[in-house]
Amino acid sequence: MNKQGFLAVLRQQLQGLPESDIEKSLEYYSESIDDRMEEGMTEEEAVADMEPPAEIARQIFMDMPLPKVVKAKARPSRPLRAGEIVLLVVGSPIWAPLALAAILVFLAIYITIWALVVTFYAVDLSFAATSLFCLAQAGISLFTRGPIQMAYFGGSALFLFGAAVLLFFAFNALSARLIQLSRNFMQWAKSHFVRKEEIV
Amino acid sequence: MDIQLKRGLLEVCVLAAIKNRDSYGYQIVKDIKPCVEISESTLYPILRRLEAAELLTVRSVEHSGRLRKYYHITPAGLERIRAFQEEWKEILAIYQFITREDDSNE
Repeated sequence: MNKQGFLAVLRQQLQGLPESDIEKSLEYYSESIDDRMEEGMTEEEAVADMEPPAEIARQIFMDMPLPKVVKAKARPSRPLRAGEIVLLVVGSPIWAPLALAAILVFLAIYITIWALVVTFYAVDLSFAATSLFCLAQAGISLFTRGPIQMAYFGGSALFLFGAAVLLFFAFNALSARLIQLSRNFMQWAKSHFVRKEEIV
Repeated sequence: MDIQLKRGLLEVCVLAAIKNRDSYGYQIVKDIKPCVEISESTLYPILRRLEAAELLTVRSVEHSGRLRKYYHITPAGLERIRAFQEEWKEILAIYQFITREDDSNE
């Protein structure tokens, strides 16, 4: 395959992306081939030294935000025929709710992960707040109730404060894990759109 | 190696490759390859990411009758390398602790 052929295949693989993105990618890979030829490779050798266009396209798609990938992949690569449009419209009561359900399930999983993170810190904050409340009670007890109550509230305040500090570190570590999980989940969702294209 | 970890490491490798002088795609691949296996299709998204994060800038330079894109590191990019070195000191300390544990078990 020569350079023109390689770039044409790559362009086809990137179809659906905004034209400026495609141009940028093609420029980059065209330049890579030129640089190889400058070092003494023939055009054919330089192209053979590159990775397959499908792999290049996969890397580009995997690095994009999910909505952009979906948008690019959902766009048909050729104008739809009349029959296909009719089929899309007639079938919409079936596929539209299914598509909507899929999107909502995805969103729900994503929100759940982040809600957990918020919950962690809410729990921690409540520990800290209760600790402050107990401290205030201990202060009040000094004048009103008596030393036993004061010791009780003071001890509780210390215990809760300690728990809040320890939990803060534990929750930080857990949140980092969860955020990583949400990132992996995003990658997984993306790989679905990207891989499907390769089989076709 | 963990994919996220490798991704982060490669970003710093690319910045290090253009630290002392501006460089272009193929040259960066050749510079990094002895150290980490990298291909141009891996490098391309990294360059775009680093550009978006303003850790490097791109300019086209005329080179033997065609344009070649040169990548130039920004102060933020240099800062990123420094931050990595700091971070790595901590990781090294942990590594030394782990290997010392190994010795005592034997």
